[in-house]
Amino acid sequence: MPFAGFNMPINYKTGIINEHKNVRNHSGIFDVSHMGQILIENNESYLHKLEKYIPLQLKKLIKNRSHYSFLLNKDGGVIDDLIISNIDIKDKSYLYIVYNASRKKEDEEIFTSCAPNAEKIYKKNCLFAIQGPDSIYVLKNIIDIPNNMNFFDILISKYNNNEIIVSRSGYTGEDGFELSIPNESAENLITHLLKNENTMLCGLGSRDSLRLEAGLSLYGHELNEKITPIEAGLSWALDKERLEDENLNGNKILSDQLKNKLSKKKIGLISTSKSMLRDGMTLLDNNNNEVGKITSGCFSPNLNKSIAIGYIISEFNIDNPIFCEIRKNLELVKINNLPFVKKKYKKNGSIYE
Amino acid sequence: MSEKKYTKDHEWVSIVNEIATIGISNHAQESLGDIVFIELPSVGNSVKAKDEICVVESVKAASDIYAPIDGEIIEVNNNLENDAAIINQDAENEGWIFKMKISDSNQYSELMSEDEYKQFLEQ
Repeated sequence: MPFAGFNMPINYKTGIINEHKNVRNHSGIFDVSHMGQILIENNESYLHKLEKYIPLQLKKLIKNRSHYSFLLNKDGGVIDDLIISNIDIKDKSYLYIVYNASRKKEDEEIFTSCAPNAEKIYKKNCLFAIQGPDSIYVLKNIIDIPNNMNFFDILISKYNNNEIIVSRSGYTGEDGFELSIPNESAENLITHLLKNENTMLCGLGSRDSLRLEAGLSLYGHELNEKITPIEAGLSWALDKERLEDENLNGNKILSDQLKNKLSKKKIGLISTSKSMLRDGMTLLDNNNNEVGKITSGCFSPNLNKSIAIGYIISEFNIDNPIFCEIRKNLELVKINNLPFVKKKYKKNGSIYE
Repeated sequence: MSEKKYTKDHEWVSIVNEIATIGISNHAQESLGDIVFIELPSVGNSVKAKDEICVVESVKAASDIYAPIDGEIIEVNNNLENDAAIINQDAENEGWIFKMKISDSNQYSELMSEDEYKQFLEQ
């Protein structure tokens, strides 16, 4: 399947549902080398310029920690969502940013305008995610992982004498790790990991159903340039002090949104029949008025039903029945709090020093 | 039983005493991936070849199933209602979807033989 200029597998041999369950019960490995990875020198002038787009206090990021954040446009809309980490590589301090493949062009224009010597490393480094409760057991025989490593901790480790970037993170709602490893050692590492019989390669299909069950947003679906992080229910990821800062794009719009009522809100939905809820389907109230749209839908192997994420207008009273138009029929759907499946991250620390 | 024939939309058809049994091909099942739900056609409906008559939902997408020939729907495979994954396990036998009383057997002879379908898939 073509995906952001890459040819990517939807699933491997055993199928999406089996891969999904293997991640929830054991572990699974995703090749996410298509994603953007960039190193930006931890230099005050670069950070100041980046703070126009990124709603964090970049100078205060704790070393060896990662943060979920965004690039914002002038209206506070999301240019991309990304993971940004503060790490030292060969005694030099960097911001290491992982971003969406589909947004490389837009993101890199910003990164290089802020930091001309920003180093894209995705051509020389593969990126793998190993996800699921057993990830730590699969990984720790192969790579040195300290016992006290928490979710969103990040460090430099070694494999085959290559330095690799190891973060305890992922996008499935499970404990897990992401490994950025030089291409020449990448195949060895995968072969090594797959020697464990309980793990398996997983494709884009299960990556999508896992993140949807965990209620996690996907760029191009729940997030785009016309949606702000607050409308997307992600205000927790914004540094509130930065919303007072004129240097941050859309700061006024965002702080207004925080104080006032939003025009739309993100919700979770569960199908009451066996029909599948899919991206783009219309949501209606019992007077047949459109009240929203689905932005992602899939079959949930854990709930054995179709689940979806969508946006509805805030005036809609969620105690009223809501219907989804599925192939010209209206089917009752149930509003459900996100996430659908509880996240199982290893204990989190504070964001700032 | 007559020779099994195939449509370009990846349905298979076999005929016994003017009753056609229809399902999706093994190739179709493989490319759809895990099938989670099927909306079966209504018994008693008269349909024309190429009419959309039911929908197979897999984890990847919803796919329309077309009537391969003209006729009347006389039976559906109710086992699929509880377990649509039967189609993944045995698309061309136990995973049959519906039966039709056919009105024009010429339409049947125009469909592809197994060998022709294999060639069609290779194109």
